Amino acid sequence: MNLKEWIFTTDHKRVGVLYLIGSIAAFGVAGVMAMLMRLELSQLGPTLTANPTQYNIWLYAHGAVMILGFQIPALTGFFANYCIPLMIGAKDVAFPRVNALSVWLFYVGIILAILTFFIPDPPDVMWTGYPPYSILTTGNTALYTFTVLILGFASIIGGVNFLTTVVYMRAPGLTWNKLNIFVWCTLAAFVLQLIFVPVLGTAVTLISFDKYLGTHFFDPARGGDVLTYQNLFWFYSHPAVYVIFLPFFGVVYEIVATFARNRVFNYAMVVYGGIFGIVALSGVVWVHHLYVSGMADWIRIGQMVTTLLISVPVGLMVIGLVGTLYKGAISFETPMMYALGVIFLFLIGGLTGIPLALPSLTLHLSDTYYVVGHFHYVMAVAGTFAIFGGVYYWFPKITGRMYSEFWGKAGFWLTFVGVNIVFWIMMDVGVKGMPRRYYDYAQFPQFEHAHQIMTFGAGIIGIGFAVAVINWIVGAMRGKPAGDNPWGSMSLEWTTVSPPPHGNWPTPPSVSEEWHPYGYGDGRVSSDEAILHTPDVPRVS
Amino acid sequence: MAHGNTHHAASHAAHSHGAHWDTSIWPFVISFGILFALPLAFSFHFVYHQPFVAVMMLGLGVPMILAGIAGWVSEAMGKGEGLSYGAMGWFILAEAMIFVSFFALYWFLRLAEPAWPPAGSVELPRVMPLVMTAVLVASSLTIHYAEHLLHLGDAGGFRKWLLLTIALGLCFLGMSAYEWTHLMHEGFNIGTNVFGTFFFTITGFHGAHVIVGLAIFLAGLPAALGGRASPGFMRTAGLYWHFVDIIWFFVVSQIYYW
Repeated sequence: MNLKEWIFTTDHKRVGVLYLIGSIAAFGVAGVMAMLMRLELSQLGPTLTANPTQYNIWLYAHGAVMILGFQIPALTGFFANYCIPLMIGAKDVAFPRVNALSVWLFYVGIILAILTFFIPDPPDVMWTGYPPYSILTTGNTALYTFTVLILGFASIIGGVNFLTTVVYMRAPGLTWNKLNIFVWCTLAAFVLQLIFVPVLGTAVTLISFDKYLGTHFFDPARGGDVLTYQNLFWFYSHPAVYVIFLPFFGVVYEIVATFARNRVFNYAMVVYGGIFGIVALSGVVWVHHLYVSGMADWIRIGQMVTTLLISVPVGLMVIGLVGTLYKGAISFETPMMYALGVIFLFLIGGLTGIPLALPSLTLHLSDTYYVVGHFHYVMAVAGTFAIFGGVYYWFPKITGRMYSEFWGKAGFWLTFVGVNIVFWIMMDVGVKGMPRRYYDYAQFPQFEHAHQIMTFGAGIIGIGFAVAVINWIVGAMRGKPAGDNPWGSMSLEWTTVSPPPHGNWPTPPSVSEEWHPYGYGDGRVSSDEAILHTPDVPRVS
Repeated sequence: MAHGNTHHAASHAAHSHGAHWDTSIWPFVISFGILFALPLAFSFHFVYHQPFVAVMMLGLGVPMILAGIAGWVSEAMGKGEGLSYGAMGWFILAEAMIFVSFFALYWFLRLAEPAWPPAGSVELPRVMPLVMTAVLVASSLTIHYAEHLLHLGDAGGFRKWLLLTIALGLCFLGMSAYEWTHLMHEGFNIGTNVFGTFFFTITGFHGAHVIVGLAIFLAGLPAALGGRASPGFMRTAGLYWHFVDIIWFFVVSQIYYW
């Protein structure tokens, strides 16, 4: 193996694998932070540390790294990079060097996040960085600002790259209605990134301006307004939920269609109703994060309506999945277990979100463990399950080898049981009044037992994820050869060899009229018959 | 792989074993240059108050970034800008959102103030912004004409009008710098009040975009002087320049004349 051809690579598949390695490492770091917090909370009084700021730093690292260092890069970095050019029959992305720049900027972001543990006065501003605390703290808020800016810039240039790639570089015959759902979902996520990341970038820049350059954006004494930060922040960070949700649901669609051996139920409704609907509504629901921050009623009521309304396109996407399962020839390999797990967890997370859309109930539930539990079900855990399922699903394509099915399922069941222990109990104690972000809960001794069970469950989750990652490492080194299309999928990425060479196909593919990525069922054509390898296909200029 | 059909090997096997994979070291160099020049230099100066270390970080990072850009440009120029015009459209969408955020904040805070401009503000110049507008609009026209000449194949004429565009851009930046020093001399600066905060950040961010636009022209300049200018690259650079021009209309109408 030529290390130089990996580090300086511009190939989309190797850039993708670099993203995967970095984001799994980030997942490990952020997971350790979660374990430290759980251990701290496992009994009343100081357990690991007597310093609340230390707990704040763990909380900062857990939140910021899980979202900015793990989920977004794994989904819009690894999966998008590895799969999109293969799914659209392209040799590579439009701008391979820009792609390499975005992955190395991502690593710089990871390095900055890890510096948190080695520098004096690390940032202690949660992943939200709310002023006035972020401006008044002695912690290094600038590091938070630059981490967000660098990761944000990396995702913007990545988004520009992939939008250009899909618009201009699809294989001949691959029309918009033959795009994989994953490609549609990821394109939508990139459009959201392009529109909303700059707003977050502006917001976090301005807290550092206020802190270090003496501006007054968030200083009410000099004409500024603290709440505007929260508005700018959530104007990005709610759509960011969909930046994570859309690609992870796209991954689940690929897995479910393949293992149910069935067409995607109501493809047009999923794409033009579900995905387009989410993009259209995602920018007008952010106020539901600020119901208790002090907000005019007409804004709260209006955004309650839009928040409830966005369940409709999200529901269309869930119905699409369930309809794809209906009358399918389902088999239960490890990726499918994770995909079905996502549907289960996402339904619990989605339904428990409805009370939080209502300002009246939020007055009680805001800033309790209920919110934390809901959020982890709907996004953190569902998204992570989709990522793990997706890595298992494309594992034979990436490595050319097969993982261990037994350890795959063992890891799945451990994590599945663990997350339900932790986050179900979290919602329960939240309804009963356990506030979030407390490093000690001396006022609430009645919850100590629940906290102990949650810490125990967190240990099970940790073991389950570790089993999965070890399974990948062992499988990549010593797994049996998998063949080019072990799952019998119709999708284009399985028509090339495993692992695919530089340039993906010896000759660029074009697709026939009858082919569809989910063309299972009547009058089926095998993918080999459907893909026409024409020697010299004219490309765009 | 930017260029077309060079990889028509006979079999898969020839590709997967021992085949050449494209590489470029410049994205790596630029990324780590950014690490030194931005977060580390800023933290050492503003957070840890060690200006000497900050200067060392800048001394390490800035040459890495410049060398990375120069290496990238010489490696890639003329090999795949066919799609860059469309890509620039998407990038401008993201750039525009920065200014949308700034103006949304500005309108919100300004309309919430009982009186505007708030106490402590000074009178902004009335004539200078008009001259700056004229200069920037003229530069949009000159780059458009330069592209037209390049399209016709007139490399010499293109070179002249490109240089004129760069000169107008520098002239704009000079006037902006003069105005800043003038206002700061009168005691109006970024910390004076919320108006000073907005004035200096918004004009500063716009000025930074002018600098980026000029940097894109400079990246294309060696090829242009050698008569090898890439029409795709210059068209994309011109599109960005027009965007910077359009943003200025918002700055001048909202900050100076409202």
